[in-house]
Amino acid sequence: MRQFLMGNEVLARAAFDAGAKIMFGYPITPTTEVLATWAKFCHEDKSLQYLQTEDEMAAGFGVCGSVLAGVPAFTATAGPGTILMQDPLSMAEAMRLPMVCFIGQRGGPSTGTVIYSQQELTMTAFGGNGEGYRLVYAPCGLTELYQLTLKAFAHAWQFRFPTFILYDGYLGKMKGEVEIRNTQYVIRNTQPILTGNMRNCYNLEEEAYALNMHHAADWQKMASQVAAFELSGPKSPTLVVAAGSVAAAAKEAGVYLFRPITIWPFPEKDLRHIAQEVQKIIILESSLGQLARLVKSVLSGEKTKMETVGKPALGFTPEEVAKIYAA
Amino acid sequence: MQPNFPRCYKISSKPHKFCPGCGYGIILKNLGRVIDEEKLAPHFTFLTDIGCNLLAWDFFDLPTAQTHHGRTVPTAVGFKMARPNETLVCLVGDGGGYAIGLQNLIHACLRNTAITVILVNNTNYGMTGGQLSPTTLANQITDSTPFGKKDNLAGKMFTGPEFLRKLAWPKAYLARASSDRPALLKKYLQKAIAAQAAGNFSLVEVISACPLNWKTGAEQTISRLKALEKSFAIGEF
Amino acid sequence: MKILLAGEGGQGVQLAAETLAKAAFLEGKSATLIPNFGVEQRGGVSLAFVIIEAAGRQILYPKFSQADVAAIFCDRALIRAKAHLGPKTKVIYGPAMAGQPATTLPPKAWNIFVLKRILEATNIVKKATVWQVLAEKLKVQFAADPHLQRMDQEALQ
Repeated sequence: MRQFLMGNEVLARAAFDAGAKIMFGYPITPTTEVLATWAKFCHEDKSLQYLQTEDEMAAGFGVCGSVLAGVPAFTATAGPGTILMQDPLSMAEAMRLPMVCFIGQRGGPSTGTVIYSQQELTMTAFGGNGEGYRLVYAPCGLTELYQLTLKAFAHAWQFRFPTFILYDGYLGKMKGEVEIRNTQYVIRNTQPILTGNMRNCYNLEEEAYALNMHHAADWQKMASQVAAFELSGPKSPTLVVAAGSVAAAAKEAGVYLFRPITIWPFPEKDLRHIAQEVQKIIILESSLGQLARLVKSVLSGEKTKMETVGKPALGFTPEEVAKIYAA
Repeated sequence: MQPNFPRCYKISSKPHKFCPGCGYGIILKNLGRVIDEEKLAPHFTFLTDIGCNLLAWDFFDLPTAQTHHGRTVPTAVGFKMARPNETLVCLVGDGGGYAIGLQNLIHACLRNTAITVILVNNTNYGMTGGQLSPTTLANQITDSTPFGKKDNLAGKMFTGPEFLRKLAWPKAYLARASSDRPALLKKYLQKAIAAQAAGNFSLVEVISACPLNWKTGAEQTISRLKALEKSFAIGEF
Repeated sequence: MKILLAGEGGQGVQLAAETLAKAAFLEGKSATLIPNFGVEQRGGVSLAFVIIEAAGRQILYPKFSQADVAAIFCDRALIRAKAHLGPKTKVIYGPAMAGQPATTLPPKAWNIFVLKRILEATNIVKKATVWQVLAEKLKVQFAADPHLQRMDQEALQ
């Protein structure tokens, strides 16, 4: 069904369509409409609940509690809130909880701006005191925002890693037409997760080592199934690598573009394969190298020339992308 | 005609950025008068939280730091330990003070840390668009309680000074004022600063108008502020 | 078509922009809208980026470098809007700007007047659709203040 919605409204709608039942949240721009929209849903549908908590840590632990009980839940945050969210996210990583989190990136560091950036990539994928056993989706445009959110819930419950929609204030606050239709993704396996004795702290180094290796193996298995990308634009010796809203501008500019749909796990072998056939890669991002660092480590050993144009907290318009590409 | 500004005002940041009808202007002006009259400027540090209070970051011609949401008080605690003779004033909202920062506020009070907290209570999270806060009244419509706040989901309305009095040391100063009663507000601020100078924790909650998020015109704003005194008692605790 | 609206908080810039984008959507076109905002809740410069394209092509990115049409509501906003004006940009000046011809319409309806001028300069959507969106958006306000409804209607004709 074709609707005219704000990105934040799309997120709430997708969460509902995916089968989520509870939202825990704390007011933070640019995500506030997610909670406001969900609160309205709760008024109409008594099977849903929401809670505005005293802070982001309480919101995240609320999600943990709900999923431990077997009920799909989620939260939305940004910037300084994402920082606080690392506390519950680390627990979710260790205990394999299907925590779903929407991150509306805003300028950093610290309180930054309430508007936009791509400066929370590293934190979203690797922000805890662990190895980043997480699944991070980076949608481009409103319809993909809806679809990837459905996928996020389904995959969170299938693979049991904290799962993210890494978006930003532009995608969150823009209004536009979006196709709302859920034809395939449903959350399966919603049984209580807490049934025996669970812990997240160990006595011996060897126990922690074993836990990490076990999670890493599961994560690799998931990676091979979910890592996704999109290649668009006419083939050319110069390839742009960008994600999210910067990729949206690059698509509008019509350049040859590799767009990771999963930022983490990064679609490594796909990029390595495509990189063989280009001479230069230009990484575009609204940060000073968070995506570039990932790309460079993926392409380490490859001979392709790499250039980064990073504008922390500033967007790229399609006209700007075209100019950079032509130069 | 020159405006009657306190000397400690930073003129280049005026007119200020608070909304028309907001209580912050009155609160800060009276703080400014106290700073002038008590000659506090040479050893004065001002800290703000996040929210509408952050718009005061360049309000005074005095050292001011904006901190993180709810973390103004622990920052003040550290600063005061490093510089015990400084007059430290924190400007926080009902969200930063009683939600995300409540734990820090409680512990500063338990320690009797010699700071002054000015807590502006307009019963909502103003800067993010008017969401529920710990001081929102039952059935109040906010952005996150679009059909009215229900206590069983959102919690009982929180009365800070009354609560803190149970934890506070005997000479800590706790009061509640209103932006609608500037003379009394100024008197309470003076007493709070004096309590700090005598080595005690002090907090003045100020109920304040937020016409934008209350969605009230001038008359309704004033009457609403007066009505709030029934829920938030003016006085010293 | 890339349309920039720029004014001050309180001038109804966002309402005009949302109405325009929603009307385009109702006519089956592709449209996006994004406001530009800072921390202050009121006042300050208020910008809105509207992109309207023919049906069928989802617009992925809501901002642009250069506007095809720019509607400036006040002099202060012109400074911010300048970055998006190019040699080909058609600029429309609202009645609040210095040197503009006076209008009998009350300031409350000036944003609709500017919207009308955008429509006449671009033919991008029909006035009837715009009125349909406005009547829905301002349902409560119009019911409380029929004079406002008449003035907005007059502003659009």
